[in-house]
Amino acid sequence: MQQHRALILRGNRFLGSALVDKGLISQPDLEAANDKFMSSIQEADLKNSSILTSLLYDLKVLDEDKLLAYTVENKGCGLIDLNHIDLKSLTPLNGVDSELCWATSTLPFDKVEGTHLVVSCYTLSAPVVKYWEDVLDGNVIWYVSSVSSISRGLERLDEIHEAEAEAEEEEE
Amino acid sequence: MKSTRRKRKQRKKRNSYGMAYTVLILDDDEDFNSLLTDIFEQADYVVASLTDPIEAVEVFTHTDYDLVVTDHKMPEMTGAEFMRTIKGIKPEVPVVMVSGYLENDMIRELIRDGVGGVFLKPLNIFSLLERTSELIEEAVKLKAAAKTNPDVSKAFEMDSPDAKLGFRFRSFPCKSSASSDFAERLHSFRNFKLALTLIGGPGTHYRQICEDLAGFYEDTADRFAYFSRDSFDESKLRAALETAKADDASRLTCVLLSVEDMSPEQKQLAAILPKAEGPFSGYAYDIRVIYCVSGDLDDLYDEELIDEHLYILMGTAEVRVPRLKDCSSDIVLMAQQLVVQAAQKVGSQNTPRFDKSAREFLRNYDWPTNYAGLTERVDSAVAATQGGVISIDVLRTAEKELVEETISSRYEVLLKDARKELVNSAIIMFGDDASKAAPFFGADTASINSIINK
Repeated sequence: MQQHRALILRGNRFLGSALVDKGLISQPDLEAANDKFMSSIQEADLKNSSILTSLLYDLKVLDEDKLLAYTVENKGCGLIDLNHIDLKSLTPLNGVDSELCWATSTLPFDKVEGTHLVVSCYTLSAPVVKYWEDVLDGNVIWYVSSVSSISRGLERLDEIHEAEAEAEEEEE
Repeated sequence: MKSTRRKRKQRKKRNSYGMAYTVLILDDDEDFNSLLTDIFEQADYVVASLTDPIEAVEVFTHTDYDLVVTDHKMPEMTGAEFMRTIKGIKPEVPVVMVSGYLENDMIRELIRDGVGGVFLKPLNIFSLLERTSELIEEAVKLKAAAKTNPDVSKAFEMDSPDAKLGFRFRSFPCKSSASSDFAERLHSFRNFKLALTLIGGPGTHYRQICEDLAGFYEDTADRFAYFSRDSFDESKLRAALETAKADDASRLTCVLLSVEDMSPEQKQLAAILPKAEGPFSGYAYDIRVIYCVSGDLDDLYDEELIDEHLYILMGTAEVRVPRLKDCSSDIVLMAQQLVVQAAQKVGSQNTPRFDKSAREFLRNYDWPTNYAGLTERVDSAVAATQGGVISIDVLRTAEKELVEETISSRYEVLLKDARKELVNSAIIMFGDDASKAAPFFGADTASINSIINK
C-alpha cells in the first residue's frame, strides 16, 4: 500500500476540492475530513485513509445520493451496483493490483472489445482518473457506485485473489 | 491631451483632514479646460485637468476627488456617459456638467442620473463656484452620515463596481475575467477556518490581497499578522498571539509568505499553527493561516519542498492569483494608481500620466515579476519624468536601469559574501581570535566582528 501513498494523498486532495467546488460539502467540512484523513495516514492505516468515508460515516455531512446523481449527470458516468456483477481476477491486467484498487476505491469489473469498464468513488478526482486511464491505455468507460457497494466488491475481489493463490499453491 | 496640474497655494479650501479639496476637470477643448482649471485654482482648489474621458475614468477610479467637472460633447464618450460611468464607480462624488448647449430632455436625463448642476456657456463663474462649494459641503455631510447610518451608506454603494462583485476589492481593479474570477473565488473562501493557500507568481502582491480578505470581515475583531522566512519563528509568533490577545481579537490570521523557502523547522511550525497545537494551544481565539506559495502544490510536494501534512493542509482551500499579464485590462488602472502613490512619495507637485504608447506597452508586456515589477517600473518612470508624460521610451529606460541596478546589487552581495569568507578564514588562521586578525586587515576588532556577524 505504501507505494500508492502519494496517489492516495493526491487523489483525496483533489476529490475534497472538487466536492467543495461542486457545492456538495462546505469548506469547514473538508477541513474536518482532512484532519481525520491525515490521522489515518500517519497511523499507516492506508487502506482506510479516505476523506469519503470520513465525510459519509464520521462527519455525516455528505449526501451520497447527491454525489452519485451529480457524477452521473455531470460526468456522464454510468451507475451500477457491484452486488449484481460477477467479478473476475485482476491478474491479467498489467500494473493493476488489489492494493491500487483499495487505495483509489476503484475497480475494473469488465472488459468489452478492448475497453475497460471501471467503477470508482473517485471519478471527481482528476489524478485518480488519469492514473487509471494511463494504466489501462486510455480505454475506459467510467461507472459510479456507492462506497459500500465498491468496498464489498473489493472484499470479494480479495477473496477471488486468495482463492487463486491457494489454487496455485495446491498445484505446486 | 492636457497634463494633470496640481498647484499648491497658501490658502486652500480644506476638508476635515486639513487637506485641500480636489477637483477633476474633464474637457477635450484645451482652451476651455485651461479656463476651468484657472477658475478652480484661483478659488483655492487642487485641480487635476484631463482631456481624454477614458483616461479620466482610469484616474478617477484610483484617485479620490471631491468633485468632478465635465464637458458634455467629447469624441470618445459623452459627458453623460462619463458621468454614468464614474457614478457607477464612486456614486458619492458630485458631478457638474458644463456645456455649450444641451436639450431640455438631456438636462432632465442628467438630473435623473444624478448630476449636481448643469452650467451652459458662457459661464457664470460665481454661480459655478457657489454650486460646486455647496455640492462638496453636501457630499461631506452625506459621507459623515454614511458612517453612522447604514441606509445612507447602502445608497452610496448600490451602483459601485463593488456592488457588482458584491464586496469591496482593491488589489485588482477586476476589469478582466481572470481578476474578477479570482476575487470571487477568494471571497467564496472567506470563511475558511484553518488554512487557505494563495498560489501566485513571483512579485505577487500578497499583502494587498490579504488586506482585501481582511476587509471581508468588517464586523469581527479579526487580526492579520504577516511573516516571511526571516521573521517566522516561535517567539515572533507568540508575540503576535499575545498582541492579538491584548487587542481582544476574536481571530488571528497568520499570513506566511514564501512557505516553500522556509526551513524544515519553520514548515513544521506552519503545519501545527492552524490547529493551535503545541506552543500555540490555550489561546481563547481562533488561529488560521494563509499560506503563500509560488508554485503548484503537487510540484512543491514532488520536489519535497512541502511534506504530506502541509500538502493536504494547504490543499484544503487553494486560490490561484492571476498573473498580471493575464489581466491586461487591469494593468493600466493599477499602474495609474501606482503613479499617484509614487508621485506622492517623491513629493511631486504634478501627477504624471501615461501616453498611448505607454498604455499599450503596459498592457502587452509580459510582467514576469507581476505587481512588484510593475511597481518598480512605475517608480522609476515617475522619478524620471518628474510629473510629465510617461511614454514607452521612459518605461523602457526604467527597465534598463532596473536591470543594471539588479546586476549591481547582485555583485554587491557577492563581494560582501567574499569579504565575509576572507575575514572568517583569517580569523581561523589566527587561532579563532578576531582581535589578532584585525591588524592583518588594518582594522579594529569591532569592525571585524561586525563583518562576520552580518
